Amino acid sequence: MTIPEDFKTRLKIAKSKIRKQVQSDSEKRGSFMGSAFKLGTELVAAVAVGTIIGFILDSWFDTKPWLMIIFFFLGAASGMLNVIRTANRMQKEE
Amino acid sequence: MQQFSVHKIGPEIKIAGVDLSFTNASLFMIISTFAILIFLFLGTKERKIVPDKVQLIAEMFYSFVAKMISDTAGSKAKPYFPFIFSLFMFVLFCNMIGMLPYSFTVTSHIIVTLILALFIFVAVTIIGFAKHGLKYLSIFVPSGVPAVLLPLITIIEIISYLSRPVSLSVRLFANMMAGHTMLKVFGGFVISLGILGGWLPLSFSVALTGLEILVAFLQAYVFAILTCIYLNDALNLHH
Repeated sequence: MTIPEDFKTRLKIAKSKIRKQVQSDSEKRGSFMGSAFKLGTELVAAVAVGTIIGFILDSWFDTKPWLMIIFFFLGAASGMLNVIRTANRMQKEE
Repeated sequence: MQQFSVHKIGPEIKIAGVDLSFTNASLFMIISTFAILIFLFLGTKERKIVPDKVQLIAEMFYSFVAKMISDTAGSKAKPYFPFIFSLFMFVLFCNMIGMLPYSFTVTSHIIVTLILALFIFVAVTIIGFAKHGLKYLSIFVPSGVPAVLLPLITIIEIISYLSRPVSLSVRLFANMMAGHTMLKVFGGFVISLGILGGWLPLSFSVALTGLEILVAFLQAYVFAILTCIYLNDALNLHH
């Protein structure tokens, strides 16, 4: 009656393998969600900051609304730069 | 909404025209600080070789943050471990205590997260200038850019640098507030659909509570890891 014993140990090994896999999967999903949240705000924040800087400079130099428009696009560019940098960093981590 | 409203507890205190009254927000900050203190005190009190549950969790937090710092910012960032650890624990406990019914979520107010983020931003800038002097300004000038494009790129880099505290604070605030609002909306559906149709939103509500606990942990983690990344940029100049 050695077969049931053998089967039990094999079952144990298989179960522990599955558990490990599930754990690492859920961990990975968590970090993906974190990075997804990260990317969205990264883009929006830079656009907002650029526009605000343009608005302040406009009221200093009395050039409404030109600097605001220019800085809006510069902000969008730096937002994309941020997103690319974050994505690069994420790829390096993997 | 009622759960987001700040109201005064006790007498009004005004110092030099600034309202410094004790509010429910301050109460919950103090509660989470004391919760951290009690938890870590219990976790480090006995120092068993085979740890009990509290000690195990406390040690897990310690090694989690230590690994995060050494992975993202290297060994130079070791002296800043106490700061990042307390930051992570504070945000985590504020988020988690906010998940309890009838409590107040401190991090769902942008002023709290913005002050945290601005503090980090100013501190990182000071550290950068203290370590490298005026050479720190070279992070705004990436290498290998043609001279024609340099002014444009520099402006873009400066905007990108200034957007750090905004994205850091808005991310935490928006996630916490959106999650709590969503729970409230689904809770409202349960009431308005009554005993017949209310089961579906109720099950959604249960699932969302689990998701919110995940988000509460995740946002504390993201907040801490981005602090490490900014610190890394300030400590190791390479672009």
